[in-house]
Amino acid sequence: MASRVRRATFRSTELQLLVAPSLLMIVGLLTIFLAGRGEVGWAWSDIWVSLVYVGAMIGISLSFGLVGFRGDQVILPVTLTLAGFGLLMIQRLQADLTALDEGYAGLAERQLLYLSIGLGLMWFTVVVFRHLHLLQRFKYSALMLSLGMMVATVLFGREVYGAKLYIAIGPLQAQPSEIAKVGLVLFLAAYLEDKRELMGASYRLGPLTLPPLPYLFPMVLMWAACLMILVLQNDLGTALLFFGIFVTMLYVASGRIVYVSVALVSFMGACWLAYRAFGRIGIRVQNWLDPWQDPLDTGLQQVQSDYAMAAGGFFGTGLGLGQPWRIPIVETDYVFSLIGEELGAIGTLSVLALVFTLVVRGYVIALTRADGYARFVAVGLSTILGFQTLIIVGGVVRLLPLTGITLPFISYGGSSLLTNFIIVGLLLHISGLPAREEGGAT
Amino acid sequence: MTTAFDTIRRFSALAALALVVLGFVASNAITDARWLSLLGAAWLLLLVALWVPIPAHTPPFNRAVVRTGVILGSVFVLLVVQVIRLQVVQSDRITSRVAVAPNGDVVTNGRLLNEDVRVRRGRITDRNGVILADSVQRGAAWGRVYPEPESGYVIGYYAPLTIGVDGLEASYDDVLSGTAAGSTWERWQRDVLHRNQQGADLVLTLDAGLQRYAHELLGDRPGAAILVEVETGRVLTLASTPFYDANRVSAVTSSEASAAQDYYATLLADPALPLIQRATEGLYTPGSIYKVITAAAGIDLGFTSPDRVYEDDGALDVEGRVIIENNRPDERTEWTLAESMAWSLNVVFARVGLAVGADELTAYSQAFGFGEQLPFDVPLSESQVASEDDFLDRLPALADTSFGQGQLLANPLHMAMVAAAIANDGQMMRPYLVERVVARDGTVIDQAEPRTYRTPISAATAAQVEEMMVGAVTTGYASAASVPGLRVGGKTGTAEVEGQEPHAWFIGFAGEDAPRYAVAVVLENAGAGMAGSQVVGRELLAAAIAGAGPGSTSASVQTAYVRSFSRAGGWPETPENGILDHAIRRFPTRRTGPSEAVRVGRARRIALAPRPGRRDAGQRRDRGRGRASS
Repeated sequence: MASRVRRATFRSTELQLLVAPSLLMIVGLLTIFLAGRGEVGWAWSDIWVSLVYVGAMIGISLSFGLVGFRGDQVILPVTLTLAGFGLLMIQRLQADLTALDEGYAGLAERQLLYLSIGLGLMWFTVVVFRHLHLLQRFKYSALMLSLGMMVATVLFGREVYGAKLYIAIGPLQAQPSEIAKVGLVLFLAAYLEDKRELMGASYRLGPLTLPPLPYLFPMVLMWAACLMILVLQNDLGTALLFFGIFVTMLYVASGRIVYVSVALVSFMGACWLAYRAFGRIGIRVQNWLDPWQDPLDTGLQQVQSDYAMAAGGFFGTGLGLGQPWRIPIVETDYVFSLIGEELGAIGTLSVLALVFTLVVRGYVIALTRADGYARFVAVGLSTILGFQTLIIVGGVVRLLPLTGITLPFISYGGSSLLTNFIIVGLLLHISGLPAREEGGAT
Repeated sequence: MTTAFDTIRRFSALAALALVVLGFVASNAITDARWLSLLGAAWLLLLVALWVPIPAHTPPFNRAVVRTGVILGSVFVLLVVQVIRLQVVQSDRITSRVAVAPNGDVVTNGRLLNEDVRVRRGRITDRNGVILADSVQRGAAWGRVYPEPESGYVIGYYAPLTIGVDGLEASYDDVLSGTAAGSTWERWQRDVLHRNQQGADLVLTLDAGLQRYAHELLGDRPGAAILVEVETGRVLTLASTPFYDANRVSAVTSSEASAAQDYYATLLADPALPLIQRATEGLYTPGSIYKVITAAAGIDLGFTSPDRVYEDDGALDVEGRVIIENNRPDERTEWTLAESMAWSLNVVFARVGLAVGADELTAYSQAFGFGEQLPFDVPLSESQVASEDDFLDRLPALADTSFGQGQLLANPLHMAMVAAAIANDGQMMRPYLVERVVARDGTVIDQAEPRTYRTPISAATAAQVEEMMVGAVTTGYASAASVPGLRVGGKTGTAEVEGQEPHAWFIGFAGEDAPRYAVAVVLENAGAGMAGSQVVGRELLAAAIAGAGPGSTSASVQTAYVRSFSRAGGWPETPENGILDHAIRRFPTRRTGPSEAVRVGRARRIALAPRPGRRDAGQRRDRGRGRASS
């Protein structure tokens, strides 16, 4: 299918939608600089980053059109708005955090670098990358690579805030679980597409009607891998995310709520056991329900985050006028609280709406494509973005116990940003594949 | 069939909405855990509502994707609800929420404190426009200076990030900071557009010159001197000694913080208790000044009159408690009430009190403001008749109380108001310190109006008591208070305190003809010499009537003084452009200062005037026997 002829096109919807992130970047960045200096005069040097970003956005859109890419026109503007939000927030944090700790110097520059690489990867995935089916063919490689990275993290990982998340390669450090989640989706999509017919069927063993146990075995393996992450890496957030992806894809493939229920109940049981066994999780539950009991130690982050969200109110204190340094680790886990403080409920609800739009577009792509494997990949990748937002925002607003993972496109962090752009690139790529004819084969 | 499901879905949606609204309305009453279970229930209902039927011919894959999307969407709805609850519904409650850490530290919202020091607070001036408190810029923060140290501590101090906020700075915080300025609509606009708050100015009734003069008169003797305007209740002088330098406590930047905290620590540790404002927070045994109330009660009830003759032969036996009279100027045994007031005869007032009775004496004391917190611009300590309810039921206790001992405790400002009430035809005015609130642009936002707070006695009674007090100054123990050319009335008091030298009291009033000003002076443990407190009272009254107190500073000198503070005179400028020191940033809400100070203050205030307990009441009476209360 890669051989089909592509004629150049003009993506006018996308270009129109890009007006919003352009304005956001220019006005936002200018506001941050002016609020920091406390004056009204501005110089071109304040907004050159924004202008470059705007240029890059338009360039990407035009180049998509030039190579005849006819995929989704909503995903790119939404993604770039979210990434713009992220860049603004990190830029805004840099001054305050550097005042606390010199180690934060250059935070925004690094984020900008990751963003550029991320945009490049996305562009590559859409424009250059042509062979999605290579990924399908090497499904076990994807699985092994993902699992291998996870195991390596457990063995050689660096412990940060009590969880082993990072692995150091020379001067760089990476968070393998970020890219591993994409590997997991690629594997599951291929495996489930292969075995879909069998998964939905049942087979009889004497008087009992049983699910196709042999085909479920790799599934059980995955379930166990999630638990391993939970226990060995002490990373509840990633475990929850992996498990969510796994259950969703299993459900989409089989259409059976039974699998979901069994997996859910057993996972919750395991969580409960972990809660009993590990003190750390018990503290998390306390911080979820009532962080005010210990406002200086374990509940510090959560209490300060609540103060921040409350300070924002509906309209926010204004960009650059909040006090985000009061929340420890605000740049990753609690960036949502920063948005809540400075941009108010308007800002936080916009972010939620943008992410949800992205997820819905992903699902619509899955529903409308012809290729079975691509459809599974689209569901899985959209689910990653949705679940990840849900887990971290749910933790910040105390809907769920807090588990530290990144807010897609907005939190500081290279691995996360690159992975998210790859996800969006793949979604865009899939949206450019031929559509399913109405009533055609599924 | 379909319609039945539709109905169920509709009801579920409504029920989910109702649950959320209920949770919002009751959000201050329920715990977060309970709210979450409520939200969980709402979620299940929402899922039912969203579980629309999917056409049967839909492929299983599509069906599952749609269902997944619906479930994910419903959880996003929960996130939205939770965000709205945090940021809109509970915003005010969370903002002002205070938590106590397991180690006892009080944690408040550090954001508010930082906002505080970014606001240019209003200026505070005395009644003549002399600046008493002003804001000066230090980096991005606005600090406070108090150019008149003798008045500064009355206004309090302003160190929101370290020690706390006290006095008028605390009680008028919303006005001074501008939080309360404007209508709701204007405040909303200000919030949305991030406009700076405009703090309003206060004009006080205080007279900086008189206040300084009062301190000159008090010197380093611990005590208080209060001068009020009789007809209005305006407080012109509110002096307490020892006092502290409010400039040194007020700190907004990091470079000031540690010096201020050191100074504050020495103030806390000082056995002379300089942090306690005697005039408003002090409670002392009143001694003979209370006889004014006993006499007022007796006359008002018609039991006695200034001319009524009482027998006083030097001693009175009340159920075995013998009151010895040391105050008679000669050996006469018959004295009128007016003479008894002039010579402060304990035996006579014991007789009057016994005639009035416990219930009426308590009732009149309460009418004069005992046993309640008088309304004022800063908190006042409550004067009391007795610490035990049935104390006055014993006749010896009633007799003691009638001449100002027993378990009586009196607040100095309150006693000034009692004197003013006698001089104001029996009407006790509401005392006040803030004359008006003026916006930056000069418009008057609020103007205090004199108001009668109580009318404890009739005008006729007041006139008789007033005349007796004038008599005490012309011929009596209060003669040291007389001023040539003025009509002065007064009453002295020597308050017996267990194991300490007695407190020397004076309350009085003066005017060219009708009384204009009233005073109360108390000198802690000053001994039996009565002249000291009378001299302070006399000089204050005379100075007030003569015009502005001697030595009041001109406005231009004032401005220069403020400027010297703002230029590195008082404090070095902060090197960083930011407001706060990083130590404070790192531990944003650790604040032990104010709460601790308040606690210590309360504990020590009680120590100022020992309250006799049930057991030592008897000992106290025995030891008191034979001592004079003049």
